[in-house]
Amino acid sequence: MGVGSASQSFSATWGAPLGGLLIGPAFLALAAVMWFGSLEIITPGAPTPLFDKSALTPGGLRPRMDEPPTSLIGGYNQRCNDCHQVFTSRFDPSRPPSQHTHIHFDHGINDSCTNCHARKNRERLILRDGVEIPFNEVATLCQQCHGPVYRDWKRGTHGKTMGSWQMGSPAQRRLVCTECHDPHAPTYAPMVPLPGPNTLHMGERAEVVHQKPERNPLRRWTTPARDADPHPINEEHN
Amino acid sequence: MRLPVVKNQESVHSSASSCGDGCTCSGGANPYTGSTRPGMTRRSFLRRGAAVTGGLAALAASLSPLRDLDGDDIPSVQKFLQKHYKEMSGEEMEEALARIRKEVEKRYDVRPDIRDFKPMDGVEFVYGLNLSRCIGCRKCVHACVAENNQSRDPEIQYIRVLEMPRGSVDIEDGDHSYDRATVPDENHYYMPIQCHQCANPPCVKVCPVEATWQEDDGITVIDYDWCIGCRYCEAACPYWARRFNFAKPTLPKADLNPNMAYLSNRPREKGVMEKCHFCLQRTRQGRLPACLEVCPTGARKFGNILDPQSEVSQILKTKRVFVLKADVGTLPRFFYYFDERDPISDIPLEASSEHAGESA
Amino acid sequence: MKDYLIFLWRCARLSFRGNWKYYTWMFILTAIALLGLNAYTKQLVAGLVTTGMTDQVSWGLYIANFTYLVGVAAAAVMLVIPVYIYKNRELHDLVILGELLAVAAIIMCLLFVTVDLGRPDRFIHLLLRFNFPISMLTWDVLVLNGYLVLNLHICGYLIYCAYHKRQPSKIFYIPFVFLAIGWAITIHTVTAFLYSGLGGRPFWNSAVIAPRFIASAFAAGPAIIILTLQIIRHATQYPVADAALHLLRRIVTVALSINMFLLGSEVFTEFYTGSAHSVSARYLFVGLHGHHALVPWIWSAIFLNTGALFVLLTPLSRRLWILNLACAAMIVGIWIEKGMGLIVPAFIPSPLGEIVEYTPTANEILVCLGIWAFGLLLYTIFVRITVPVLQGHLTADSDSTDIPQQVDAS
Repeated sequence: MGVGSASQSFSATWGAPLGGLLIGPAFLALAAVMWFGSLEIITPGAPTPLFDKSALTPGGLRPRMDEPPTSLIGGYNQRCNDCHQVFTSRFDPSRPPSQHTHIHFDHGINDSCTNCHARKNRERLILRDGVEIPFNEVATLCQQCHGPVYRDWKRGTHGKTMGSWQMGSPAQRRLVCTECHDPHAPTYAPMVPLPGPNTLHMGERAEVVHQKPERNPLRRWTTPARDADPHPINEEHN
Repeated sequence: MRLPVVKNQESVHSSASSCGDGCTCSGGANPYTGSTRPGMTRRSFLRRGAAVTGGLAALAASLSPLRDLDGDDIPSVQKFLQKHYKEMSGEEMEEALARIRKEVEKRYDVRPDIRDFKPMDGVEFVYGLNLSRCIGCRKCVHACVAENNQSRDPEIQYIRVLEMPRGSVDIEDGDHSYDRATVPDENHYYMPIQCHQCANPPCVKVCPVEATWQEDDGITVIDYDWCIGCRYCEAACPYWARRFNFAKPTLPKADLNPNMAYLSNRPREKGVMEKCHFCLQRTRQGRLPACLEVCPTGARKFGNILDPQSEVSQILKTKRVFVLKADVGTLPRFFYYFDERDPISDIPLEASSEHAGESA
Repeated sequence: MKDYLIFLWRCARLSFRGNWKYYTWMFILTAIALLGLNAYTKQLVAGLVTTGMTDQVSWGLYIANFTYLVGVAAAAVMLVIPVYIYKNRELHDLVILGELLAVAAIIMCLLFVTVDLGRPDRFIHLLLRFNFPISMLTWDVLVLNGYLVLNLHICGYLIYCAYHKRQPSKIFYIPFVFLAIGWAITIHTVTAFLYSGLGGRPFWNSAVIAPRFIASAFAAGPAIIILTLQIIRHATQYPVADAALHLLRRIVTVALSINMFLLGSEVFTEFYTGSAHSVSARYLFVGLHGHHALVPWIWSAIFLNTGALFVLLTPLSRRLWILNLACAAMIVGIWIEKGMGLIVPAFIPSPLGEIVEYTPTANEILVCLGIWAFGLLLYTIFVRITVPVLQGHLTADSDSTDIPQQVDAS
């Protein structure tokens, strides 16, 4: 009963003001807060860093060769025989070339120019049986050593096709070996990767990289410490 | 234990009796008829008026952020009445395309060439990806963004390239945000993942409004004007192939690709889903997807699986292929395959013969 | 018809009347609801970027609350079954309060789904191309709205009869009561199927999800009802027998035991198997790769639920204040278990193994609070109207000025 009477006297004193006097102004104060409250639109996640758009040019890594091949020397497109009819050249794999020094040569056991280039006619390539072929049939040359890859390329499972997916379409063109591979150093050079993802709320990119410790699936076979646990979580709780 | 009730009853009654003059909560007056009955003083009427006015003001103020609503976000009558893609007649589609053309021109100052490409007869698209050849350069990711008008900020990308440690095919081990000076790293291989265009797509199954469906050429598409943005498809996809426009997508006017299709790369709005559609604005015209054409290594292969001569048919016939998460029964149209040799980790001939000598 | 409109008009008027406690309570709820509305309009303008959700964690607090409240709505059936099947007397007059709670909860559910939509302006598309029966979400829309209509009918009919001092005609409500019993189980089962049907989310893809949902709902729901009934008893003259509370206590105890058992089964399967599918469970319970935002949540849920179960199983809980403590602990514990413990971890790590954690933003929390406040506001009004009607203070022939003032601070 004491509680009841206390609440009675409380409501008699304060109930009326709370009931009406304060509600109106309180609502108005609330209205003011919401009316003047700012609309913050945060986009948690930075935009993609800028990169060189030329990286997105479609096609092979290397320009397509003319037939017969030419190169820009002294401001003019010169054919091979423009020089080679005049100058003799040696083919000695043991000594570095005095010309064409820009060529980085790294083709495994294939270490002699004349393995591929015809000695007599520099605008032609040469097969093992001495048959000379034009540069645009380079695949025939490569297949002498790279049989399985050539087989895949013929099937379309290796290499790159441009223009159209429709077989036999005039727009379709299968790139030849040298449009992707440097014939003098066929292994791909390392490439700078384009920027990684940075989606909403992903946080700092570095954080993501460092917080996920790399798990090495080969550890059982490569490291002596077999008991090293791949999951740091288990370490914490053990 | 009935006591509290009795007590309350009393206190309730006493509080009722305490309501008298000046009390706004009294039962003696009726504010809702607008008339002042006996017991209703002018003061209490004013207080009620203040409470009602305050309440209405607060209601209005709570809606005040709508001041900042972008005019583009309010759907026009035409847009509101636009039918589902499959129900639109040819003329209605033309009207919709004209509307989109106008909207894009207004927003990007570019007149787009937007059409509605239908699937081609006798074509089912399949993608092949050669894991022995991918070097993780992420050109496909960004070529896709450029081709398909994805939002640059916030960033939306359809393709994720995972850097996988050698010796594992568990994508849990993959690193999404590898940041190396150069790729490839010889201790890793790279696995790009995008929409697998499943033959049994869980995302299509769950959509409550049929805003996404599988077309006859196997591409799962979205009607961006029909999606209600519930993100159930995003939860259902086992390949994390779907993206949601959490904010209004932004892209610089100069970067807009004006060649677009209704179901693919036309600019999206906030609040709808989007996903990879095998560049249908290109592929349904016989062209190749943007991610494939930019790939420097030829790791990506695309074609018609119904044509036995196509490159993808040859891959499925002659290579060892696998699909991701085959256990979820989605029947992906995206196949990963390998070559006999791996050019990235290729051990030089001399080294491998030494190694063979040691072990022998 | 005219008479019915007058009834509604009188109800509306009644809901604006009370003493200072009632006004204060209603003002606070209205203020929070308006703040929530304000936060939601901000979300409408800026998009769901105002929430903590991402492409990786694409469902968050909204869907978590939705799931929990479907359970609360379904739990009203735990009052109905004893009364209409076992002819229990104590609960007889309380059933309607439970059903009104279900109505309020379903309305909150529908609001939570609506605020989660990216394009609420296209809601009409649900009517135009309804992917039924393929999409579980369409099932959910159907059963939730159906349950809402059923309960509105039952409550509305009974209250209107009491208003007219008429004996309710059984044919108009008994069949619906039995339909509602089955329907209540359905709403929560369908909600569980929403998650367990997704093969791409191994954490959800478990047959035990639906039974677990039902068990946890039948624990948390009656717990809420136990507290609510005491508040109503305290605030109005409505008679609530202690025996009724103790019957609910027994129901809660059984349901909570089953829930803990199912949770245990789930945990065993995940951790003993230790397959790649258990990564989400590992993230939830012990953390993964240095990320453990949810670990404190789930362990506090387990602590609260186990503590509540322990108390409920002992005679201690016959004391009301201890029972209330246990109920409060359980309400919070199950909310965490279903929200932070079931919805969020299924998204972490993402299907591609990426770990992006989820933290709700202030705006998102405000929207949730707003919806909860709105639901409480509705329920308060329901009780405010129902109690005088059922007690015969507000009838067709009584003058509205006769109604005694009532404190209602539920």
